[in-house]
Amino acid sequence: MKERTLFLSAIVAIVLVALGFLVASQANLMPPEASTRAVEVDQLFRVLLGVSTVIFFLVEGALVFAVLRFRKRAGDDRDGPPIHGNTSLEILWTLIPTAIVVVIGVYSFQVLMSIENPGRSPRIVEIIGRQFAWSFRYPDQDLATSELHLPVGQSVVFQITSEDVIHSFWVPAFRGKRDATPGQVSEMTITPREIGVFPIRCAELCGAGHSIMTSQVVVESQDAFDGWLAQQQALANDPGQLFLTMGCGGCHILAAAGSTGTVGPPLDGLAARAGGRAPSEDAAPYVEESILEPDSFVAPGFQPGLMPKNFGQRLTPEQLQALVAFLLAQP
Amino acid sequence: MTTYPATGTWRRYFSWNTDHKVIGIQYIVTSFVFFILAGMLAMLMRAELRAPGSDLLNAETYNQVMTNHGSLMIFLWILPVVAGFGNYLIPLMIGARDMAFPRLNALSYWLIPPAGLIMLASFFVGGAEAGWTAYVPLSIGGPPGQTLWAVSVMILGISAIMGAINFVTTVITMRAPGMTFGRLPLFVWGMMATSLLVLSATPVLTAGLVLVALDRVVGTQFFTVASGGDPILWQNLFWFYSHPAVYIMILPAMGIVSEIFPVFARKPIFGYRMIALSSMAIAVLGLTVWAHHMFASGMDPRLRVPYMVSSMVIAVPTGIKIFSWLATIWYGKLRLTTPMLFALGFISMFLIGGLTGIFLAAIPVDLHVTDTYFVVAHLHFVLFGGSVSAVYAGLYYWFPKITGRMYDEKTGRVHFVANFVGTNLAYLPMFAAGLMGMPRRVADYDPSFTSYNQMATLGGLILALSTLPFLYNAIVSWARGPKAAANPWSALTLEWQTSSPPPTENFAEIPVVTTDPYAYGEESSLTAEPAAAPAAG
Repeated sequence: MKERTLFLSAIVAIVLVALGFLVASQANLMPPEASTRAVEVDQLFRVLLGVSTVIFFLVEGALVFAVLRFRKRAGDDRDGPPIHGNTSLEILWTLIPTAIVVVIGVYSFQVLMSIENPGRSPRIVEIIGRQFAWSFRYPDQDLATSELHLPVGQSVVFQITSEDVIHSFWVPAFRGKRDATPGQVSEMTITPREIGVFPIRCAELCGAGHSIMTSQVVVESQDAFDGWLAQQQALANDPGQLFLTMGCGGCHILAAAGSTGTVGPPLDGLAARAGGRAPSEDAAPYVEESILEPDSFVAPGFQPGLMPKNFGQRLTPEQLQALVAFLLAQP
Repeated sequence: MTTYPATGTWRRYFSWNTDHKVIGIQYIVTSFVFFILAGMLAMLMRAELRAPGSDLLNAETYNQVMTNHGSLMIFLWILPVVAGFGNYLIPLMIGARDMAFPRLNALSYWLIPPAGLIMLASFFVGGAEAGWTAYVPLSIGGPPGQTLWAVSVMILGISAIMGAINFVTTVITMRAPGMTFGRLPLFVWGMMATSLLVLSATPVLTAGLVLVALDRVVGTQFFTVASGGDPILWQNLFWFYSHPAVYIMILPAMGIVSEIFPVFARKPIFGYRMIALSSMAIAVLGLTVWAHHMFASGMDPRLRVPYMVSSMVIAVPTGIKIFSWLATIWYGKLRLTTPMLFALGFISMFLIGGLTGIFLAAIPVDLHVTDTYFVVAHLHFVLFGGSVSAVYAGLYYWFPKITGRMYDEKTGRVHFVANFVGTNLAYLPMFAAGLMGMPRRVADYDPSFTSYNQMATLGGLILALSTLPFLYNAIVSWARGPKAAANPWSALTLEWQTSSPPPTENFAEIPVVTTDPYAYGEESSLTAEPAAAPAAG
């Protein structure tokens, strides 16, 4: 009897462990591993998935078995045996989970230290969240951009902050996110390992536009990246580029900028509508006022309070003039 | 002294009544009404998320619906329904005539309906839109409804603290002769652990809410960055309460299933001492894990590791409980009644919630899945698959005691199957959506997540429909179900040793306890002389 129990237990254990390996190695539950960090995180994830699979089928299997095997038979109204406990069994199922937890904890700690190590001379990219757009700054080039481009294989430290409420910068393909908190800068280290375009999403509820606060990161070869940087520097004062850099495109449709946001009013053909819209205002002062103090007149059908009110600080007077002229020139 | 208005009339349920059984029913029924409301809000969300694009709710309304769904479910359903079980059962289970402070007890109930109405009123003054977590600065700048939300949660916190004082005092001072701590039913142990957590953690949230309300109404600057305030301070205050709140919601649920398994397996609970101890261990450890909600926040990265360790260690006492329940039903004579089915469902679904908790505790994985639908799935497996399953188990199990009538077994089974299928169909796809990159609390999503969301919406619909057989069963059986005996389950705990429903002051004579409450399968199994049942009130 005892031997038979031991034999059956061994078979069950082997089957469970095999199942754990199978699930852990075959499961394909996440986006492409676009950063070196993703490879390490996924490895840890697979270990956790394997261990969880074993425990899951052990417990659910025992549950189903017990329900089938120990179900009361018709006519049997006796009680079960008066077993109150079993000290060695209880010690066993305290110690084994403790050991598993210790191993997982140590392994997680090692992965954490490894993924957060920025390596030597990483590139710094500043990331600024605001309702409801991301913008980026390359401090080495003193360059602000609306798109995030990164050279493949080069370690980068994101310095993440917010200008209003808390956001969270998340690139699922990189397997990392970090909150953008006003008043402080948080760092996250990434080394892209795959060329491609990957979505950026906001992961912390930040208001009505939370779900549209998306962007993308372009990972490209060093040459393509250098070319892009040079092109951006040349365009730094171009109003169409400014429109995107300032995040306007997140909420407004403008054909010339290729933007499709629908939180705020569309801006194509603005000149035809802007004059005389707010009482006794010409087109140019109206557009300027709408950028600096967006709530002083809100186009019918749209919500007040959503557009940032800090463009007065973020735009130089020349940039503002250029942007107004650009917007009024759109057909 | 305590006065009881005329018993036997339904009017007492709408009056200031100090009988713990009336108050228990008031708690349970009131919170169930809020459960239905919060469930309807969930269905609005699932309808909006059925397909990408915005078709039913605009983003602001969605955020209001989402905020109130979470807040109602936590503060006005699970927390008060658990308090309702505690109120009804603790005096009966320990052989007392009432709670230690009957009038305080009535007061803690009567704070709940106005607090609930205040929370719902937020919809009419611009709404509360910052989620149940109400992170600053979003919640400081939000519309006026956010102030009502804060006031409502403050009142509910005060109610919970008063309730906890009452539970702890009652258990310590009012146990019947022979009811030692070593013979305390495990539900009472669970309520003790929960009450100690409420007393330690709830005041911190209430104080934090005062700061938020002051910032909003008076213009103080506790959380204003420009004036040196710190948004992370709120997260610390909030999670110092709100992670223990999960244990506040799950420990009594574990207590409920610990009562049910021995009765329907006809076997003693396996490892009584370890189950009671592990409740206390979870309560103590539960106070040390809050910052695992903040691994991705701006908190000092060096502080994260201790919280990872404490969060993982909680798996050990939780595992002890699960293994002990399995050992309890092993070799038993299982009677698969509706409460037993829900208790078995509790293990199978809470297990998923518990295992995925390890993924969230492991910081490198957490930094990918936190604030995504993975977390939404995890917390619903813990709180819906876990707590709500146990609440349903408890409602069926004590239905004959509370109402004096039997529920209908067949309808109960239909409810169980629909609830089990609906829960898994609604929440399992959310794990996949979160891993693939869907953030939580979004009113719209990338079309690549459509199929997960369609499954979740279908599951949600099944869940919503599954409450209909329950309501039908509860209402019809309460009105004209067959009369229940004093002890229809042949259970050994004291609440079954008096009439169904129990008379005013519970026992004709206070019982004397001589054995442990789970001595099934033994010769001298009854814990006490069954109290002679006077005409039920």
